[in-house]
Amino acid sequence: MKPLRLLRWSGTVLSPRARPSPLTRPSFHQYLSFPSSPRAQSNVASIFDPEPDDTTEDPPALSRPSDSPDLLSMPSPPPYRARESAKLAALHARLSLSPRLPFETLARCLIDSTADPDPRFNNSSLALLGSSLLSYYTSEAILCRFPRLPTEVVFASMWAYCGPKILGIMTREWGVEVAAEPGGEVDAGYLQCRWVERKDSTGQPTVPDVKEAGKIRPNADKGWRVGVSSRTVYDNQFGDEIKKQKPDGETRKQQEPIPLEEACANFVNALVGAVYLHLGRRATKVFFTQHIMSRHLDVSKVFNFRQPSRDLSRLLAREGFESPVARIKSETGRASRHPVFVVGVYTDNQELGEGTGASLQEARFKAAVAALKSWYLYSPLESRVPSETLESGAKKWEPLMVDMGEVIV
Amino acid sequence: MPIKAIRQTAIGRNGVGAFILQCKRLDFHYCDWAGSSRGMNQFLTHLLPILARTSPSIEIHVSPRPSHHPVIRGHYINGREKAICVRNLEMQQVLKKAELLRDASGEKLRRVKGGRAVGSLNEGVRGVWSPMHGAEKKEEMFGR
Repeated sequence: MKPLRLLRWSGTVLSPRARPSPLTRPSFHQYLSFPSSPRAQSNVASIFDPEPDDTTEDPPALSRPSDSPDLLSMPSPPPYRARESAKLAALHARLSLSPRLPFETLARCLIDSTADPDPRFNNSSLALLGSSLLSYYTSEAILCRFPRLPTEVVFASMWAYCGPKILGIMTREWGVEVAAEPGGEVDAGYLQCRWVERKDSTGQPTVPDVKEAGKIRPNADKGWRVGVSSRTVYDNQFGDEIKKQKPDGETRKQQEPIPLEEACANFVNALVGAVYLHLGRRATKVFFTQHIMSRHLDVSKVFNFRQPSRDLSRLLAREGFESPVARIKSETGRASRHPVFVVGVYTDNQELGEGTGASLQEARFKAAVAALKSWYLYSPLESRVPSETLESGAKKWEPLMVDMGEVIV
Repeated sequence: MPIKAIRQTAIGRNGVGAFILQCKRLDFHYCDWAGSSRGMNQFLTHLLPILARTSPSIEIHVSPRPSHHPVIRGHYINGREKAICVRNLEMQQVLKKAELLRDASGEKLRRVKGGRAVGSLNEGVRGVWSPMHGAEKKEEMFGR
């Protein structure tokens, strides 16, 4: 059977060579200045109803204008093309989105700022909103479930649930495809962005480096040690440093490519923002629970202890217990090639944790780790999150346990 | 030395929260002239609209492929594709093949062995047997 070469047949339409080069492309404001420009129809949602009624009325479609301008000259597909895309409709159905979320908004979520620098048509504003919502919902879910988690572990858990890498993976799992090159003539169901590969060896992106104007953190140039508690103030939700960008004129040009996972993260964030604006708070929570919190993360595997015995003794001293004592519970084959020791750590004859190892040191180390994990991974039997109280008819909020925080060594 | 964290990503479990149908696109290729496409052409006229309506999350492409046998090709989220030649099949048989492609996961076909048909990431509630702890139990049992 001969393979079909559909791309070759349609290549004359889709090939980037058929498009004017970006340098000769007219600037965006040129065709916005047309009085009847169809792209002046922004599809920003109006003031939303926080508890919308269940009437599902189809939003009015943006019809194709009679004097449609040249698609090839556009940086991204215009909103009226969203209704023509089978890919977009399939994506809408695949994510089980309500018909109250119009296709035009979904198409706008797919337009990254690297494809279309105009904030009225790209997803940057929606992504900002969605990113805040995602971090809020994720952080409250993590902190209410494990109130004693150390800050570093909270950062890593946040990154595991809504970091750029996981959002990139999620975009692939949703079957979103990336356009080879963004443009007005491309199907609106593709993710429109300009992206580059990340370097694998060093992990550094190959994108042209952002011209930094400095860092948000004061005294950053002095090389002082960065404490964990200051990272909650100065860093982003994943504990990564926020870089200040130079003001207008010297900022990174919007057209410069970004790593693909960042573009995907922008799409998912924008979609969450769009769901919030069009469908309300409850639908956003459902979307978050179904797509993000349903993923599996073993928080006990996120910990990385360096000196667990010392941490444990400091923790017990802080909590007013006797200092820990490690005792051998049982052993076998001490003189053999494969000895096994079972060691428990005790305070005041109460066992805190137990570990097995091929040497006494290893077993004691593991016992201390087990004791620390059983402390830090305390989880209340019934935990509510603050956002549940926003629903109508919710029970009164009862304060949760607030822990003193991790032990500082 | 403060506690450090190891960055890892949360693992997706399709169907635990949202369910994403793994087939994202179906291509139907037919020939107007050849007899082997008779069932396929009937399928395209009568049954495809129903199939498309009942599975909206699949993008459907219909295109002629003159002088060739009719083919249904499924594209899946994992990047693989599956093609089934439906030459000389009746309309209902073509529908069966299309449903087979729609419901497939896109993975290679492999034998599911008895105990591993369902996998779980959660720990067993019973715990794992440990060779280290038999002696205490024994002492408790026999009261030594």
